[in-house]
Amino acid sequence: MTMTEEAWSVSRLARAIKRSVEAEAAPIWVRGELTGVKRYPSGHWYFSLRDATAKVDCTLWRGAAAQLGTALADGMEVFALGCAGVWEERTALRFNVTQVLPAAAVGAQAQQVERIKQALLVDGLLDPGRKRRIPELAARIAVITSVAGAAVHDIITVARRRWPSVELLVVNSAVQGEGAAAELVAALGIISRLERLDCCIIGRGGGAREDLAAFNDEALCRAIAACHVPVISAIGHEVDVTLADLVADVRAATPSQAAEFALPDRREVVARVEVARVALHRSLRVFVSARRGRTERTRDRMVAALLDQVRGAERGLLGVASRLAPAISRVVDRRRARFTRLAAQLHALSPVAVLGRGYGLARDRSGKVLWHRADFRPGEPFTLTVADGSIAARVEER
Amino acid sequence: MTDAPSLSDDLKRLEEIVRRLEDDTLDLDTALALFEEGVGRLKAAETRLNEAETRVRQVLDDSAAGSDALRFEPLDG
Repeated sequence: MTMTEEAWSVSRLARAIKRSVEAEAAPIWVRGELTGVKRYPSGHWYFSLRDATAKVDCTLWRGAAAQLGTALADGMEVFALGCAGVWEERTALRFNVTQVLPAAAVGAQAQQVERIKQALLVDGLLDPGRKRRIPELAARIAVITSVAGAAVHDIITVARRRWPSVELLVVNSAVQGEGAAAELVAALGIISRLERLDCCIIGRGGGAREDLAAFNDEALCRAIAACHVPVISAIGHEVDVTLADLVADVRAATPSQAAEFALPDRREVVARVEVARVALHRSLRVFVSARRGRTERTRDRMVAALLDQVRGAERGLLGVASRLAPAISRVVDRRRARFTRLAAQLHALSPVAVLGRGYGLARDRSGKVLWHRADFRPGEPFTLTVADGSIAARVEER
Repeated sequence: MTDAPSLSDDLKRLEEIVRRLEDDTLDLDTALALFEEGVGRLKAAETRLNEAETRVRQVLDDSAAGSDALRFEPLDG
């Protein structure tokens, strides 16, 4: 680098310094004592912030100065929100302040918040065990916020993208300033009259710390705890946690995140339905095929059992049959023997047997036995039966 | 808004039906009835998933006006 050709101009250096300082400058809160406070007719304020060992020059532009709650004065202990900047003309470092809060007021407010927090703690409202789960698939969600704010727009946008079938019921309420806490409590009262609600989002877009005061209100915290559905807080302030955040069932950093907590991703649910469909059809197939297998096994067992029975019966029948013939023969033999015996007895009693011993039997034409001499009439024919047959005879005389 | 079971109910019931169908002791009539119910709930779930437009309404309390009703007005997002 040659000294003459490459040297920077002063303004280039000043711009470079300004750029490098301001590029990194995020708004920060600084606590310090005011000194050298001056208000110019233009409406801008100039002062320095100092502590025991350091001092920083500050500017408070007219627009921001109009928001001041109290007049600034030397010796006042304050919190100042601002960004580091460079006043180019002198390359002087300036802290460009946008908000100033008297530390005394902040201190009193912090003490009040701490007192409420202790009361809520004692009543168990900060107990992690009482946090309710957000329903998995919300169909109806209440949103308490300002309809004029960005929060409601963010929530609707996320809902449309993520879970289009949801119904959002928006209850308008102031979210900052005088009366905001009471309006938020009233909105929770309206919520309690809504039916089939899955959860409630209460919140606002990003805001400055002192704008969050409503969300540190004791009555609001108790109303949130008493809400009949789970409450998601979305106070829109990454750094500061309000008491409403502590009491809510779920704390979201932003309204968009609250909508994400409240609503499932449609694609995931579609996938879950698909899994259920596949499982349903598969389980029926498995059920039917298991049942078919069992039916077949039962049928086989039934057929086998039936065959067993038939075979048993057959065997029994064969046994009976083999015993039947001898049994019948025995019966027949017994009958035959008895018959023979009876025949012999009959034979012994037969008149024919008497004839065998040389007697004769006379009968007339009608077969009537001629017992006496008087039964024979001369000239009448009669039959004489002897042992080996009959002969025709006629009475000669009596 | 209807009183029909919510999508969440449908999905829970579907998963329960699948579990029950995996039970071997179920009789066939019950199994078929469960399956039919499952198919119905699948359809309902899909219908719900396909409801495209998020409804956004503002709730207005009319109790101040002497009525204890809530009014609902479409709120453009």
